[in-house]
Order: sequence, then C-alpha cells, then structure tokens
Amino acid sequence: MAKAKTLKTLTDETFIFKSFEQVDAIWLFSDVVGAPAASDLVRARVAINGPLALSSQETVYFVAVHDDQGEPLLSHCTYRVTGGSIDTRWWSLTLYDRQTQNYVPNSQNRSSWNSVSIPYDENGDWTVTVSPTPQTDPWLPSQDTPEQPFDLMLRVYNPSEATRSILPNIDLPDIERLSC
Amino acid sequence: MLGRALAFLSVACVVCAGTYFGTQHFIVKQAPIKVMSTIQSQMAKTAGGWNRCYHNQNYGPRANTVRRANPDSIVSAMAYDLRDGPVRVSGEVWPRYWSLSLYQQNSDNFFVVNDRQINGTRFDYILAIKGQDVSQLDGEVIMSPTPKGILLVRRFAANIEDMPGIIANQQAMTCAPIQG
Repeated sequence: MAKAKTLKTLTDETFIFKSFEQVDAIWLFSDVVGAPAASDLVRARVAINGPLALSSQETVYFVAVHDDQGEPLLSHCTYRVTGGSIDTRWWSLTLYDRQTQNYVPNSQNRSSWNSVSIPYDENGDWTVTVSPTPQTDPWLPSQDTPEQPFDLMLRVYNPSEATRSILPNIDLPDIERLSC
Repeated sequence: MLGRALAFLSVACVVCAGTYFGTQHFIVKQAPIKVMSTIQSQMAKTAGGWNRCYHNQNYGPRANTVRRANPDSIVSAMAYDLRDGPVRVSGEVWPRYWSLSLYQQNSDNFFVVNDRQINGTRFDYILAIKGQDVSQLDGEVIMSPTPKGILLVRRFAANIEDMPGIIANQQAMTCAPIQG
C-alpha cells in the first residue's frame, strides 16, 4: 500500500506542481527545480515528470494550469495569451498535455514559441492563440479532445540581474479564455 | 491481560508506521536514481556506448523523448561513467545561446555554464571523480559527485534555418574517455 500510494503522489499529474509557489491567479513558480536545495519529494517528482531541468542558477520555471479566471486550461477551448518582453537571454512558452507530460501532436509540429521566433507588435508585446483549430495569429496548437487538460510552461533562461532580483514578480503573460 | 494486549498493539502500530514511512522514504530517494539509469541506458544505446555523445539533429518537438523537453533546445547528450578514468568534452559554443550542464546520479544539476561565461568560444572540460590524478591533463577539471551522470549541451534554435549551423557546431564537439 505504501508503495502504490507513494508512486501515485510522485506520478499523478495533480501533484506535480504542488511544491510550486503561486505567483498570481495564473502562474506557479519554482526556483528549486534541478537544484541540490530541492527536497527529496520535489527531486523525485521532477525526475519522473520533467527530468534534467536546469538549476535556477541558469533557468527559472513558471507553469500555468489555469486561465486568468482560475479555470483549468482545457484543450478544446481557445485562449489568448498576451505578454511583453522579459529581460532575459531567452524565454520559451511550451504547451504540454498534463496527462502525458509531453507534446501534443499537431499538423504544424509546433509546441512552443520563443523570445526570438515570436512576432512583436510596435509596443514590444506579443499574442499567441492556443486552440485546437488553426489561427491567423501565432498559433499554439492544442488537441481537440474535450476536457483534456494542458499546461503552459514558461522557461526563463539566463535572466538578467534586474529580472533575477525581482523573481518571481516579473511581468508574466496573461491567459484569457475566448471560447469553449 | 489488557495491558499486554495494548502494549502489543502499540508495538504493532509503530512497526506498521515504520514500514510504511520507510518504504515511502526509500521510493522517494530511489526514484530519481532509477529515472537517471533509464535515461542513461537509452542515451548510451543511441550514442553507441557510455562516454560518447549523441547529437539530436532534428528541429521541433519529437515523440518518445524525455518528458517536458523543450523543442527550442537542440541537445547533445552523454551518459558518463568515470569509474575507468576521466572523460574529455570539448568544442565550440553556439552564439545564439548555449549551455553545458551536468547531472549527478540523484538527478541534481550540479554544474552549468553558458556561452557568455566561457573565456572565448572554445570549451575544454575534463570530467573526473575524486581520487583520479588529473594534474597532468590540460583543460578545466570538473569533479562529478557521482561516478555516473549525464552531460547535456543545449543549443537554442530560433527556427529551422539555425539547424545547419547547429549541426556543424555539433560535429566540432568531441566526447571521449582520456586514454592511458
């Protein structure tokens, strides 16, 4: 019983981000992923569900499992994700299926946008539409499976000293549900 | 009689709790090591052995990779085993953004360096463990806390047009045991 229960707490997708800190209504944050400072439980969860993460010396991780209304991110819905530039060497926003912890197969073979590939508007802001159906905006495809949860992971690589000094309270993207 | 029964019951409860938490502790401690071993076996198989590098030369998300991989990051990977001697890893950094990271057997990221922290554009590292004589070797020595571990080099690609440069950069990288 102990073995089964322990394995469940390590592998169940609802437990994966339990040790992450809530930054706002949308984003969770961790700076102990991959680090020797991580507890045994955090280390085990990360190893199973997202191994070989970089320590916060190089990278910090944010995860969204809810939209701005606190509703779970679901594959069959359409979301507008908006953000600005982040003072960091590189950032990327990647979509993962919460059950498989992996990419969602799609016709575009796209599961992420990054700080170099994303188109910025005249104000330096960007918009990505997450949807199971093709979009004219930069499109991040989800799968057309009702009620299938997904998450968005924002990786902030090699943040500047200014960014690092205010972590995790940086200007994080907004996630708004447009339709379901 | 009642006293003896209660005493027996108390001992039984302590033994049960000890077994339960002992099992839990064991699983949590061992899980990262097991995950690392599984990944190392796969890496060594793909690279043609331990202490050899495998270079991903595909752009975009791929199925059957480690969970929550970042498709922007085109990796070279090596499962290392230093019990028979040190291993040398050398090459050129990738200017868009590059990092070299090392993971000990409990999955902790114990070392990371990026291209802006390297003096020049070339890197030359010797991976060794405590007790090995590296005093006569050229190159920067990194002591691995455990004989086995994983090395990852991440080169960041903005788009598929970056791939020829990344592949050339991979081909200039060497990973091999130090002979004699």
